[in-house]
Amino acid sequence: MFKDTPVVREQIKKCVRCGKCRSVCPIFNEYRTENYSPRGQVFMVQMLRDGVLSVSNKVAAKLGDCLMCESCSSICPSAIPVPELVAEARAFITEQRPSTSKKLIFEKLWTSPGLLRNSVAAAGLADSLGLRSLARSLGLTSILPGDLPRAEKILGKIPRRSARSQLAAVMPARGTRKTRVAYFLGCGTDLLQPEIALATVEVLTHCGCEVIIPQDIRCCGVPHLANGAKTVAEKLVIHNLNILSKLGVDAIISDCASCTSTLNGHLYRPATVIDKLKNSSNSAPTLAEKTIEAANWLKGKVFDLTVFLVDELGLPTEIGRLMNSVVVTYHDPCHLVKAQKIKNQPRKILQSIPGVDFQEMVGADTCCGGSGTFGLTHYDLSMKILKRKIESIQNSGAEILATSCPSCTTQISYGLREAGLNIKVIHPVQLLQKALIQH
Amino acid sequence: MERSLLVKELENCLGKDKVISDPVDLMYYSYDSSFLARLNRFIPDVVVTPRSTEEVSAVMQIAYANDIPVTPRGAGTGETCGSVAIKGGLVMDLSPWDTIEEIDVANMQVFVRPGVIHAKLNERLAEYGLFFPPDPGSSIMCTIGGMVANNASGLRAVKYGCTEQYVLGLEVVLPNGEVIVTGGIQSRSIKNVSGLNLTKLFVGSEGILGVITKIRLRVWPKPKGRGIVMAVYPSLDDAPASVLEVYQAGILPSGIEILDQSAINAVNMYRPEINLPQGEAILLFEVDGNPSSVEWEGLKIKEIASRRASQVEWATEPKRMADLWEGRSVVATAAARVRPDGSRVFAGEDISVPLAKVAEALRSIRSLGQKHGVKVVNYGHIGDGNVHTAPVIDPEKPDEVEKANRLVDEIHRLAVTLGGSTTGEHGVGAVRAMYAELEHGPAVKVMQAIKKALDPKGIMNPGKVFLPEGE
Ligand SMILES: Cc1cc2nc3c(=O)[nH]c(=O)nc-3n(C[C@H](O)[C@H](O)[C@H](O)COP(=O)(O)OP(=O)(O)OC[C@H]3O[C@@H](n4cnc5c(N)ncnc54)[C@H](O)[C@@H]3O)c2cc1C
Ligand code: SF4
Ligand code: SF4
Repeated sequence: MFKDTPVVREQIKKCVRCGKCRSVCPIFNEYRTENYSPRGQVFMVQMLRDGVLSVSNKVAAKLGDCLMCESCSSICPSAIPVPELVAEARAFITEQRPSTSKKLIFEKLWTSPGLLRNSVAAAGLADSLGLRSLARSLGLTSILPGDLPRAEKILGKIPRRSARSQLAAVMPARGTRKTRVAYFLGCGTDLLQPEIALATVEVLTHCGCEVIIPQDIRCCGVPHLANGAKTVAEKLVIHNLNILSKLGVDAIISDCASCTSTLNGHLYRPATVIDKLKNSSNSAPTLAEKTIEAANWLKGKVFDLTVFLVDELGLPTEIGRLMNSVVVTYHDPCHLVKAQKIKNQPRKILQSIPGVDFQEMVGADTCCGGSGTFGLTHYDLSMKILKRKIESIQNSGAEILATSCPSCTTQISYGLREAGLNIKVIHPVQLLQKALIQH
Repeated sequence: MERSLLVKELENCLGKDKVISDPVDLMYYSYDSSFLARLNRFIPDVVVTPRSTEEVSAVMQIAYANDIPVTPRGAGTGETCGSVAIKGGLVMDLSPWDTIEEIDVANMQVFVRPGVIHAKLNERLAEYGLFFPPDPGSSIMCTIGGMVANNASGLRAVKYGCTEQYVLGLEVVLPNGEVIVTGGIQSRSIKNVSGLNLTKLFVGSEGILGVITKIRLRVWPKPKGRGIVMAVYPSLDDAPASVLEVYQAGILPSGIEILDQSAINAVNMYRPEINLPQGEAILLFEVDGNPSSVEWEGLKIKEIASRRASQVEWATEPKRMADLWEGRSVVATAAARVRPDGSRVFAGEDISVPLAKVAEALRSIRSLGQKHGVKVVNYGHIGDGNVHTAPVIDPEKPDEVEKANRLVDEIHRLAVTLGGSTTGEHGVGAVRAMYAELEHGPAVKVMQAIKKALDPKGIMNPGKVFLPEGE
C-alpha cells in the first residue's frame, strides 16, 4: 500500500519545509510560485497519503510536474528523496486509475527488449512515417497528447540498427586481458545512440577489458518509475539484479546515468524492493534470498563508464592528438551529478585528450528539461528549461557538447537543431575513441 | 464579496496568469516553515503575484474596498507562520518579483524589488567588491522583502547588525492602496534624520502595516580576509566568559557561534567525518577584514580562548575553514539525527537572552527538555545572545506534539524572565503574538494604535505580531 511504503511513511515528516529546494528546482525556476516547488511536491504526496485529497486529474497533473532530476534531494538538509516520493504517488495514481495505453507501453512493450527493439527498428525503417506510425500502432498517442510531430522532432532520425544487433555477446580484450566486465546496454543507447555503444565497447576492449553484453537484460526501470508503473520497475530491477550477479564479471558498466543510478540504488533503492520481497507472502522465498544475495554482490560493482575509465582502469597514457582541435564543453546529467555526485571524471577524460580545448559553461549542472519522457509529455515547459541550457552552451563557445546520458543527448541535440546551431552532441567516450584510433 | 467575483476582479486587474484560484493550487500556500503550519492548513481564498507597484496598489484597493485580509509573502521560509493567511483572504506572493533595479556603486547603495533572493543579490554585488552584510541561514532561498519585513539577521549580526542597519528607504503600498516612499522620495543620501523614522517602522513590521515594494539598501565593501578560531570548553560557563574576554581585548569578531554538547553529538552523528572534539561547548569565532588584521585578531583570540578552553585551533586555510564552519552550518539539520524516527520542528527556536545569561539559558532549556520528555539540540549566535533550540519529535504523534508545545511555551517565558526576548531574529508572526503583552507591557497599546492609524480596517496580515485589542 502507498501509505505503508517506507519512504512515504518515514520521509514526509522529516521535511521541515525550509524551502531550500526552491533554489534549485528547474520547474520552480520557470513558474516561481509555491505550487511548483519541490517542497510542494512533498506536501502534495502527504495530502494524498492522508486522504485530504483524493486522486484527480489536477492532483495527477501536479505530481506530473517533476523531472525526477534530484536537484532538490541532492541539496535537501533532511535528505528527503523527493523523486522517490513522487514516484510512489504516481504509482498510487496509476493503481487508482489504470490507463490501458500506459499499461501497454510500460508493462508490455518496454519490458520486452525484443519487442521494443523491433518496434523502434520498424519506426526507423519507415522513416517518413517514423514515430507516428509506431505510436499509432502501439496506442502511444494518449501519452503524447497532440504532440506527436513534435515528439518526432525531438527524437530526430531513428537509427536503423540497434547497437545490440551490431555487437557480439562477448568481445575479447585487446592485448592482455586486465579485467572482465559486463556492459549494461540501456534502451536509449541501444536504440537511439548505438554509436555510443560502439565507442564504449571499443574503448573498453582497447583498455584491456573483456566485454560481455548480457543478452536477457531488460530496461533499468526508470521510465516505468517515472510513469507510475512502479511494480513493473520493481520486477525489472529484480530481473536485472539476478541476471547481472550470475555473470561472473568484475564490474558492471553503463554509459547511461539513469541506468547506473537505478542499478546502484540511488534512484531506486534495491533495499525497498528487497524489503517488499521479504514481506510478501506471494514471492517464492528463494527469489527473495537470491535477490538479496544478488544486490549484495552488486554493491560497489556498478560503475558509470567515465568513473570506470578514470578511477578503475586509469586513462590510457598514449592518447593521440585529435586531427582538428575543438572547443568542448560538458553538460552534467542530473542522474550523474546530483544522484551520484559524479562530476570530475567525464571532465578528466575530455581534458586528457590532446586537441580538446575544454571550456566550462555557466550552469553546467542545471537540468536540460529532457528527463526521458518528460519532454514529450510536457513539451512547452521542457522547452523553456532547454532554452536556458542552449543559451549557456552557445555562450561557452563550444563546437562540441559532451554529456553522458542518452536522454540529455536527445534533448540537447534537438535544442541545438532548433536553434540552428552546428554543435555536435557526443559522449566523452566517443572523443576518446577518436583520439585512440588516431594514435 | 463572493470569492468568484473577487477572483474575476483580480483577474481583470492583473491578468489571469497572476491570479491563483484553483483549490488544489491554493493549498500550497497553506504553509511556511513554522511548526504551527505543519499542524494546520491555513488555505487562502486566492493568491496573487503582482510585479509592479501599480499592480500591488490596485490589489490593495480591491482588498480595502471589500474588507479582505491580505498577507504579503516572500519565499515562505519564515518560521512563524508570518506569510500564511491564518484568517483567510488573499496571499500576495512577491517572490517572483525579483528585479535588482540599480546597483549605485558610486553611492554605495542598491535598489531592489522585494522578491530578490539574498544570495543572488550578494552574487551580483560581489562583481563590484561589495556586499549586503546580514546573512541568514536561509540566504539561498529567502527574499530581501521577507528579510526587511522580518528584520532578519544571521551569523554575522554580532559585527554587522541586522537588516535594519542597511535599509535606507522603502517604497510601501499602504492598506488603502496609497503609495509612499520613506527616507526621502528623491534621496540617495546615507545619513538622513529628517522626519519621523518611518523606514524603521516598516522594517520588522512583518507585513502588518503595508506591502514593501521597493527597497533601498546600503551596501558595504566586501572584506578581503577571513579566519576561524575553534575553541573547545570542558565547562559551558567558560564559553560566554571567553566571549567577554575577547570583547574586552578590543576585538569584534564577525561571528561567534556556540554548539552545546547536544549539538556536538548531533553533528558527529550526522557527519562522523567532521569529528568535533568532545566538550560541554564549542565556540567558533570568525574574524574578517584585511588579511593582516585578521591574522592579528585570530591569534589574539586563540591566546585568549586558550586560557579556558581545552583545545584551540586557528585556521585560515580555506578547506579547513570550510570544514570547521560546516560543523556549525549542518547543525540545524543534524539535530534530527538524535532521533532516527524524528524531525526537528521550528518552534521556540529563536530566543535571545543577555550575554551574561547564555549559559543559564542553555542549562534551563536542557532541563525543560528533560521535564517534558523532549529531546532538544541547542546552538546559536552566542555573540549576541541568540539561542536556537531544536526540539526533535515525531511530528505525526499527537502526544509528542502536545509535549513540544508545552516545552516551547516555557522556553518563550524563560527568555522573558531572563531579561531577553522571545525572538532574536525570526520574528513574531502568529506563533509568538500571544507573548507581546508579557514582553512589551503597555507598549503593545501603542503598537496597536500605530497599526490602527495605518490600517484602520485591520486587513493587513491579521493575527500577527500582537493580538488585536480586546483579544
Ligand atoms: C533553514 C532556515 C534558516 C534560517 N535562518 C535564519 C537566520 O539565520 N536569520 C534570520 O533572521 N532568519 C532566518 N530564517 C527565517 C527566515 O528565512 C527569514 O526571516 C527570512 O527573512 C524570511 O524571508 P522570506 O522571503 O521567506 O519571507 P516570508 O517567510 O515569506 O515572510 C516573512 C514575513 O515577512 C512578510 N513579508 C514578506 N515579504 C513582504 C513584503 N514585500 N512586504 C511586506 N511584508 C512582507 C510576511 O508577511 C511575513 O510576515 C531561517 C529560516 C530557515 C527555514
Ligand atoms: S524537501 Fe528538503 S529542502 Fe525542501 S523544504 Fe523539505 S526539508 Fe527543505
Ligand atoms: S526532482 Fe527536480 S523537478 Fe522534481 S521537484 Fe525535485 S528539483 Fe524539482
